[in-house]
Amino acid sequence: MNMIYILFSIFLAGAILTWVADKISGILRDLFFLLTVLSATTFFYLKIPVGYTTNITLAGLHLQWGITAFGWYFSLIVLGLGTMAAFYALSYMKGKERLGYFYFNFLISLLSMMGILMSRDLVSFFIFWEIMTWSSYFIVIYKGKHVQRSGINYLLFSAIGAYAMLMAIVMVYAHTQSLLIPDMIQAFPFFTLSAKIWLPILFLTAFSVKAAMMPLHVWAPDAYSDSPMAYTSVFSGALSKMGIYGMVLVFVTMISYLPNDTAFRETFAWLGAITAIMGTLWAIAQDDARKLLAWSSVAQLGYIITGVAIGTELAILAALFMAVMHALFKGTLFLVVGAVEKQTGKVKFSEVSGLIRKMPWTFIAALFSIITLAGIPPLGGFVGKWMLYQSLISSNHVILVVAIFFASTAAFLYCYKFLFGFFLGQEEPEIAHVREAPLLMIIPMLILSLLESILGVYPQIIFRPLDAAMQTLGFPATQVHFWNTSVLFNEWGNQVALKPLFYAVAGIFLFFFLVLTIKGWKTTRKVSTKDISTSGEIPKQNENLTYSINFYQPFLRAVAPAMKRRMMTYYREIGSGLEAFFDYTRRLYSGNGQTYAIYVIIFVVLLLLFKNSLFS
Amino acid sequence: MGSILYYTLGAIISFILAFTVGITYMGLDRKITARVQNRIGPPWYQNFLDVSKLYFKKTNIHQGIMQHMGAAFMMVTAVMALLIVPIFNHGHFFPNLNFQGDLIFLLYIMVFGQLGMALGVGQTGNPNAAIGITRGLSQMTGYEIPWVLALVALMIQYKTTSIVDLMNVQAETGRWLMFSSPFAFLAAILAMLGMFSHAPFDIMVAPNELASGPISEYGGKYLSILMSAGAVFMFAKLTLYVDLFMGGSSNLLALLIKTFSFFLIPVLYGIVSPRYRTEQAIRYFWGWPSLFGLLAVIQAVILK
Amino acid sequence: MVGSPVLFIAVPLLAAFLIPLLGFVWKESIRILPGLVLIYLLVLAVTLLEQVMHTGTIVEVIAGWAPPWGINLVFSPFTGVLVTLMITMGLIIWFYSYKFKNVAFEEATKYFILFMMLVTGSVGIVLTGDIFNQFVFIEITSISAYALTAFYKGRDSAEASFKYLMIGSLSSMFLLLAIILIYSQLGTLNMADIASKAHLMKPEFKILAVIFFITGLGIEAEIFPLNGWAPDAYSQAPGPVGAAFAGIVVKAGVYALIRIIFTLFDVSGTHQFLIVIGLTTMIIAEMAAIKQDRLKRMLAYSSLGQMGLVLVAFGMGTEEGIFAALFMMINHAVTKSLLFLSGSYLVYNSTDKFISETNGMGRLLPITSFLFALGSLGIVGMPPFSGFWSKFFMLSAAAHSNMVLIIALVLSVSLIELVYYFRVVNRVYFFKKESKIEPKKPTVNALIAMITLGLIILVIGFYPNLITGYLHHASQALLDKGKYIHDVLSTGQLLTH
Repeated sequence: MNMIYILFSIFLAGAILTWVADKISGILRDLFFLLTVLSATTFFYLKIPVGYTTNITLAGLHLQWGITAFGWYFSLIVLGLGTMAAFYALSYMKGKERLGYFYFNFLISLLSMMGILMSRDLVSFFIFWEIMTWSSYFIVIYKGKHVQRSGINYLLFSAIGAYAMLMAIVMVYAHTQSLLIPDMIQAFPFFTLSAKIWLPILFLTAFSVKAAMMPLHVWAPDAYSDSPMAYTSVFSGALSKMGIYGMVLVFVTMISYLPNDTAFRETFAWLGAITAIMGTLWAIAQDDARKLLAWSSVAQLGYIITGVAIGTELAILAALFMAVMHALFKGTLFLVVGAVEKQTGKVKFSEVSGLIRKMPWTFIAALFSIITLAGIPPLGGFVGKWMLYQSLISSNHVILVVAIFFASTAAFLYCYKFLFGFFLGQEEPEIAHVREAPLLMIIPMLILSLLESILGVYPQIIFRPLDAAMQTLGFPATQVHFWNTSVLFNEWGNQVALKPLFYAVAGIFLFFFLVLTIKGWKTTRKVSTKDISTSGEIPKQNENLTYSINFYQPFLRAVAPAMKRRMMTYYREIGSGLEAFFDYTRRLYSGNGQTYAIYVIIFVVLLLLFKNSLFS
Repeated sequence: MGSILYYTLGAIISFILAFTVGITYMGLDRKITARVQNRIGPPWYQNFLDVSKLYFKKTNIHQGIMQHMGAAFMMVTAVMALLIVPIFNHGHFFPNLNFQGDLIFLLYIMVFGQLGMALGVGQTGNPNAAIGITRGLSQMTGYEIPWVLALVALMIQYKTTSIVDLMNVQAETGRWLMFSSPFAFLAAILAMLGMFSHAPFDIMVAPNELASGPISEYGGKYLSILMSAGAVFMFAKLTLYVDLFMGGSSNLLALLIKTFSFFLIPVLYGIVSPRYRTEQAIRYFWGWPSLFGLLAVIQAVILK
Repeated sequence: MVGSPVLFIAVPLLAAFLIPLLGFVWKESIRILPGLVLIYLLVLAVTLLEQVMHTGTIVEVIAGWAPPWGINLVFSPFTGVLVTLMITMGLIIWFYSYKFKNVAFEEATKYFILFMMLVTGSVGIVLTGDIFNQFVFIEITSISAYALTAFYKGRDSAEASFKYLMIGSLSSMFLLLAIILIYSQLGTLNMADIASKAHLMKPEFKILAVIFFITGLGIEAEIFPLNGWAPDAYSQAPGPVGAAFAGIVVKAGVYALIRIIFTLFDVSGTHQFLIVIGLTTMIIAEMAAIKQDRLKRMLAYSSLGQMGLVLVAFGMGTEEGIFAALFMMINHAVTKSLLFLSGSYLVYNSTDKFISETNGMGRLLPITSFLFALGSLGIVGMPPFSGFWSKFFMLSAAAHSNMVLIIALVLSVSLIELVYYFRVVNRVYFFKKESKIEPKKPTVNALIAMITLGLIILVIGFYPNLITGYLHHASQALLDKGKYIHDVLSTGQLLTH
């Protein structure tokens, strides 16, 4: 029996069973859901080794499924984050409606992502790509808010991308008579020049949409923030990475065969950088935590796109490593927002503050993830950032590196806003009833944040499969032995030894922490957050002095010119223009029988008039 | 095991040196400012007195664990920066932790403490503190651009991201980078004004507006540790500038002279300047300083 | 041997006449009889189709008059596939409308008679090998269609029916003109015979005939700008009739047009014309569809658009193109019928049939809404549903013919389609119910019919191999004009000798 069929069957049967079980009993549904995710994950890692392939003939087309080391690397993101989010979802979604629907689409979107990673031919790739689109779309509209706006936007942009890809696929099929991806890559150098230019553009359009690259990002902030957080975690963490997966394939294979690939690479690298900068600026301006994280996802994927587009070995390593890190920290952060939302019912920074004592574990998860996001050593985010900068600098992308640096620096602003907005500031009486999130939600978040910190010191855990993936992509196996000692190298031989740095940071911190704590242990006391000095006045208990409105106003004033125009406005204008045009066209069908008869006559007369030029 | 002890010992000695020098400089700053303003001012050792007085205060209050740890976070950054920046040219006795002093690592570890402290400050619930933090972070996005431009120019020209390598380059050619890469130097110096949060870029502390901003809720031992961390950090940054643009220093005297002359730049500039608003400060850094940075990069690309 | 092709015509016609008579004996029989007939015909169709795949085209001569003089029925793989499709759809729609509105006996009798005539006529159009005979079948179909459109006896449906009648008579006129032209020139009405002698015809007359045929049949095949009647007829007719229009009648119209263009004449430029007119139809219909505020009208316009796409695929003239076109016809028949059938329950008790009245039906009519959503996913070509495969093969055929612009156009128009279908699905599931109109629970037989259609969408989606073999044969059969002529005319020789 074919292993890949079994894997897909597990997902599909599990999804249907979960859906059906929802009508019978909630416990049964949860059980089926969890069992499906766990059994599929276990089955995949135990039974489907790298290199496993199988051939299928469907509708007369020769298709192939299989897993490469590169796909396997991404499967870590999909199944790893998927499992964590699944556990979390059980508790997070408790008591909500349409759970069968939610879990069904959740499982189907995991299935589709695994399908994408296991597709060795273009048609299966497209099929799974579209399944991913609609399953995620159904979750985006799950809450029923803004369905016609954010839902349709998401669907429309995904479809634009998917259709671009479909166009490329049929063009390739017409050229090569084969749908297998390796065949396409082999035949690519012999295509005509226009095909060589158009195919990558079409494919990249599809992937850019999913990776939310500007100017195709407009769906992302709404879609990310409208879906339930348990899924947004997967959405932003894993699903958007499918775009990166495709981009890497295109940049490593097709683009490198182009006679003049620099233009392509530079354009995309810059688009990535602009995405990073603008995404960051918009994230800073948000008051809604979900929107902030959504924009931040857009920005983070911008870095990854830049790395992929540059395409040197170090750059791709950096991008792929950052892809995993992004899945970890953004996955966790969305889960954190979910926990806060579940426990307090609020998602706006201006509405809730001072949760740190109420939800300490959630705070710890958030803290670790934010540090990773900001790229601050000694956590894992730094490794990716470091390699990205090094690759940009050593490949002479001088201005680009400054742009990326600016985006990362500005990212500190929203990082701080996130932590401060929810967890710090004054503790208000309104949140007195708030409890820590249930265990089932805390544990996945903590596991993910633990991974973030471990990867900061032992990145080799990820680098080993990454190295195998890089070899599949055609890069030589190089740096494994360095990584085994937790040392990062750039192309000039400069290095950063992670372990001693980590020990130093930990040591210094512990030392001064002890100094602070032991000194005057007895006389150090904690006071309430209302006990502060505000120019001689003592705030009353019910006075909330937390600073959360217009948080970065001066900064936003400084960058106002860059944020004056929104891409969405343009799209909306195009959209309403088109609708007006459609309405005009609709009037051709006047509803009057005489008009229709006249149309018939005109049609005949025209044909008769032009009969010689039309037919012969 | 021996090497760890050796490093620890080196770190402690570096720390003491940096602490002493840093606190002295801060005292001198107050003195110089006072003299310029036609006051007598406190004695140069006043800051030693302040730090010790604060440290030995009897009761300390805090608003929560993050605030409690905030000062320790700040200290981590200060000491890590100190350990990574080579203090002397061939300082076997002052081993540096990373052997090479990676610039990018340095840039990032410099943020670690600031963010940590910002979190501590945030927990106090004092609006002034949070306002100070937002201003500080915003200003950072300003000066980071010329600063990174300058560093990138140096990195690509000499194909290294290591401070030690850059010092070696200066030793080999016998020319300080402040002369061979003048634009980078200019950009870096202008960025330094912001980095030191000295007037006119002191909106984040803004003493008479925000009640000293971020640190307004810190007192006692916390403030004392924070002040020490500030001093050490300042010294580390000054040493970094010396290493990058003046070829490092081979003995204590040279180190003191070079660092002090760098220190005078923000001090003297600050005395005669009124305070910028945040957005003005940001725009300032994105103006001339960044232009110099760009020129530096162009120079580097041409000379490479 | 279960039977011969002539039974496809004879049995349902006979049944249509028997229905009122049997109705006097046993009232329920008027509802049961059509089903029995259709089940028998389906068995027959499938058996014959299987046979045809192995042994080649069956040509049935009627009343011993050999072609080219007599009337003959041609059951080739191509026509066989279409006939099977039509019978299947007929059967499903019959089952759906088994308890049709629980209307009075008399009305039900009318409905089922007309419905049988509609199916007979459409099947006849496809099977016949004689051009005048085809005209007759077109008339049978049209007249039953007019009557069915006006079934509700309201002002609007009468108006729609009248429009249909008016345009339909124009169609008959042009068809007759074309047939007269051909008969005057060639002296034959047999299609194969015309095809073999077409080169003898004067070019001016030939082109004139083609133009009249395109106009006359274009009205039946709903091409722009001849399709003004269609949205009204589709939306005013009862739900199952709308489904029958989309699933059966329009297919016959397209078949007739294609037969004329592919087999009868070798006029160059017709294929390009098909592509251009198909694209125009599709673009304009989809643009009109997105601005509709009534559900059935939206579905009707969408149906026009889809048929335009089918014409484009036929217009490519390659085997792949025809294969894709046939695939699309099947999908369109199944999916659009499902949409009409489920959609008419979503707005069952409403008088205006506004789209906004479907708000919140997802909770009240879960299965119907689910099937509507499934149909929407299928019709916009989302994998893994059947619509995807036909879309893929259509685009792939276009790519093989190097028609990149067409691919781009078709895909852009698909975006419009995507938007308006999902706007409705979103309303059904995620909007709060506003209107006070009570939903009507679908009857069991209607549910089973709709679920069958849904299952077909899923099964073809997951396992397209089920039908691709037949479709390949069918598309080869259409292209191989020589074999068609030979098959038909040799039957005649066999008889005469």
